[in-house]
Amino acid sequence: MKLIKSIVRPNKVDDVKSALEKLHISGMTVTEVRGHGKQKGHTAIYRGQEYNVSLLPKMEVEVVVPDSIANDAIKAIIEAARTGEIGDGRVFVIPVHESYRIRTGEREV
Amino acid sequence: MSESPTPAASASSGAPERDVRAVRAARLESARRELAEATARGEGGRLAHRHYSQRMDAFVQELFAAAGSVTSSVGIFALGGYGRQELCLHSDIDLLVLFAAPLEAGDEKFVHALLTPLWDFGLTVGHHVREIGDGTALDRDNAEFLLALTDARSIVGDATLLDRFMGATDMARVAARALAELRALLEARRARFNDTLYQLEPDLKESPGGLRDLFAAQAIAKLTDPTLLSQSSVGPQALDDAEEFLLRLRAIAHLESKRHQNVLTHELQERAADAMGYPGGSPRERVERLMSDYFRHARAVDRALRWALRTGVTPVGPNLVRWGDGVRFVDNRQAAARPETWLALFQAALDLECTVSDDALTLVRQHAGHFTADQFVPTPATRAALLRFLRPRPGLYARLSEMHEAGLLGQLLPEFKGINCRVVRDFYHKYTVDEHTLLTIRNLERLAEAGPEKGRFARLLSEMESPELLVLALLYHDVGKGIDVDDHSAIGARLVGGVAARLGLGDEDRALVEFLVGQHLRMSFVAFRRDTEDPEIVRQFAQVVGVETRLKMLCVLTWADVGAVSPETLTPWKEELLWRLYVDTYNHLTVAYGDEVIDSTQAAVAEVAASRPPDVTATEIEEFLKGLPRRYLQLFSREAVYSHARRSRQLSPGAIQTWLERKDQEWALTVITRDQPFLFSNFSGVLSLYGMDILRGYAFTKPDGLVVDTFHFSDQERFLALNHEGEAELIRTIEHVVGGRVDVAARLKRREEGALRRRLPRFAPVVHCDNDSSPRYTIVEIVAENALGLLYRMSRAMSESGCEVDLVLISTEGQRAIDVFHLTCGGHKLSRPQHEALTANLQRVLEGPS
Repeated sequence: MKLIKSIVRPNKVDDVKSALEKLHISGMTVTEVRGHGKQKGHTAIYRGQEYNVSLLPKMEVEVVVPDSIANDAIKAIIEAARTGEIGDGRVFVIPVHESYRIRTGEREV
Repeated sequence: MSESPTPAASASSGAPERDVRAVRAARLESARRELAEATARGEGGRLAHRHYSQRMDAFVQELFAAAGSVTSSVGIFALGGYGRQELCLHSDIDLLVLFAAPLEAGDEKFVHALLTPLWDFGLTVGHHVREIGDGTALDRDNAEFLLALTDARSIVGDATLLDRFMGATDMARVAARALAELRALLEARRARFNDTLYQLEPDLKESPGGLRDLFAAQAIAKLTDPTLLSQSSVGPQALDDAEEFLLRLRAIAHLESKRHQNVLTHELQERAADAMGYPGGSPRERVERLMSDYFRHARAVDRALRWALRTGVTPVGPNLVRWGDGVRFVDNRQAAARPETWLALFQAALDLECTVSDDALTLVRQHAGHFTADQFVPTPATRAALLRFLRPRPGLYARLSEMHEAGLLGQLLPEFKGINCRVVRDFYHKYTVDEHTLLTIRNLERLAEAGPEKGRFARLLSEMESPELLVLALLYHDVGKGIDVDDHSAIGARLVGGVAARLGLGDEDRALVEFLVGQHLRMSFVAFRRDTEDPEIVRQFAQVVGVETRLKMLCVLTWADVGAVSPETLTPWKEELLWRLYVDTYNHLTVAYGDEVIDSTQAAVAEVAASRPPDVTATEIEEFLKGLPRRYLQLFSREAVYSHARRSRQLSPGAIQTWLERKDQEWALTVITRDQPFLFSNFSGVLSLYGMDILRGYAFTKPDGLVVDTFHFSDQERFLALNHEGEAELIRTIEHVVGGRVDVAARLKRREEGALRRRLPRFAPVVHCDNDSSPRYTIVEIVAENALGLLYRMSRAMSESGCEVDLVLISTEGQRAIDVFHLTCGGHKLSRPQHEALTANLQRVLEGPS
């Protein structure tokens, strides 16, 4: 199993969800996050005064998928979230050793 | 009606004057002797005072009959202690001589004839001469006179005049002022006695617990609730006893000292104890018993007064008082029949930061259904009052909730009824539609309470000229859900038309509210669901919004709306997205608009041309609009566009079209002419010359050199208000300045120096020069403290630096002037050295002389 953690533009969440649903991946966690990557934010001007926007709003989408479809999922996320501009985000892939369903205590490997 | 004789009817008397005087003297002496004897027996209390007052009444009636004729009817009224029939041996005789019409020479003779005999007999007379017309200014009259009026009693003449006198003004306001003054007088008087009633030689009238305190408590009851004192733990009997006791003692003090002496000295205490028959083997014992009673009665008076001050109802408006559980109607029957007065109930509670009382809400609940929306706001004044009521401030949510719960909100705004307890199931909303709507207003009032320094959205709210329109839009933003949830924004916008017509909103205001309701989901959609880093997304959104005022209102509406969905919905993350969209759109509207010009193929041009009046051709409109920024069409109504097109045709070089329009307290100056150096600074200079405060404005220069400038300003020094020829003079001066016949710089110099000397900027000015945002213009944004001549000084510095001022946006938010200039130099953007020099020059101008 893999935990795929994607940081995407807020407006791309719906596209990412649709792409994952096509792979029959429906369970996911979506979190509002703020941060910056290489671009380190930018400077905005409001009424003649500059202010630094260092932490940009992004969305974090987390899914846990079987190893067999991990690559398809990663590909789908990248395609759905890409604009080609700086600030498109990142995808992190983390191995998952075990998981448990809290309601039943059932273990999934 | 009084049955007293009129002066004209019984003025003549056959008795020789000397005899008449002797008879009167004997009568007065007899009356005084009667009171003195009762006093000496220790019985100079209420009854004796009443008899003496009545005999004084008869005396005044006789003088009235002999005083001659008057030109209008007249009434004589006893005031203060005399009005209460508590006249003591050496008390002042307080009289009100009230005429039905303005006094003429004969009336003055009458007053003299009435009062002179009183003075001749050694009486001290306090007199007030008024005509009933003075009643309209009663609330501004002398405070002690207002308080004395609470005891006014007719002695002779036309008794109805007093009602007419007091009915000429808003008695609730008079009562409120009288109460406020009474409190101030009480505080000052009691302070003279160190605020303690335990005086060894008390002043029977002035000391705490004395007669003045008793009368003050009675006055509070009369002005607010006549049953007030009977509810105090002191009880009416104890107060009656205290009054009787104090009156007897005061009568003894007057009798023994043979003058207006109210201090109960040690010597007087002994005589009073004897006169009142106190038992005891020694004078000291008798005095101790007397003073023990005195302090007991003074304590009762003191407690009753404190109770009245603490719990007395306060008049807060016509037929409205503030009571312990909130604001309520005084006369419920009258209130039930007059729905146009109900808004004042909620407004008073809002102003006083208290609730509306349960019984008032019950009355509203029982009767609201009997009236239509128009009956609550039948006049322009009541409609304006409703809009004022909607200005966001602490308590507005609570008052609107009370109105809603009592069924008033749905009657007043019938469109609101459809969402009463409406349940719409979705993944986000946690409340019924009506409560969600009211919670948006609570969010707004919290923002208003926080103040502009507390946050960026609060600052936007504080900058709005008409935040009540935002509240109106919030009230209507979801009313469409009562009909169709999917299309509720568009339905809601259509429903705005009804309330706009009922409230008499102008076209501009109605369009604004329709826009806010119709587009209330758009900003959150773009901010949270679209890539706002894409300039095209921002451009499209800016096009929908059009102008900054709408943007600000839509932004704050979105913030309040999202925040009212559930406590968790508006996260700092969403706030950040919303704010970024706001800033990007604001910058687009103020900085990037210059490059989006109108071309004749645009649909908007065809629309404007299609509905043109017959005296303007489509070609003239197309020619006029061509090359102006698109923003122009969003700033001006069609009528204004036609007017501009009409006035700009065949405008020869050097010719100028200038006109002034007034809207409420604001003026608008529009100038259409051909461009020339220093043109913009000359216009703003002339306005400064006449002391005008420029609030906002727009300056447009077309590529063909046609200039359309509009300045909105307030007549700060009332030049236009006070001078009939002021408008013509202002326009003439502009024409002279543009024609080079008047040097505005020279005329402004002295004035400017004065203004600069007085100026103490509270924040450092900001000058931002942007050479990147536009391919055509160098854009200079300036934020500085507003000051007389600021715009003139800035624009003059630009012109002196060789710049052409092509486009200007002027806005003022509180004390902050926010101006954006689009400049060129020789038809091109400024070079780096040029804009650096200009920035330095502007900084110097803004910081003023060191």
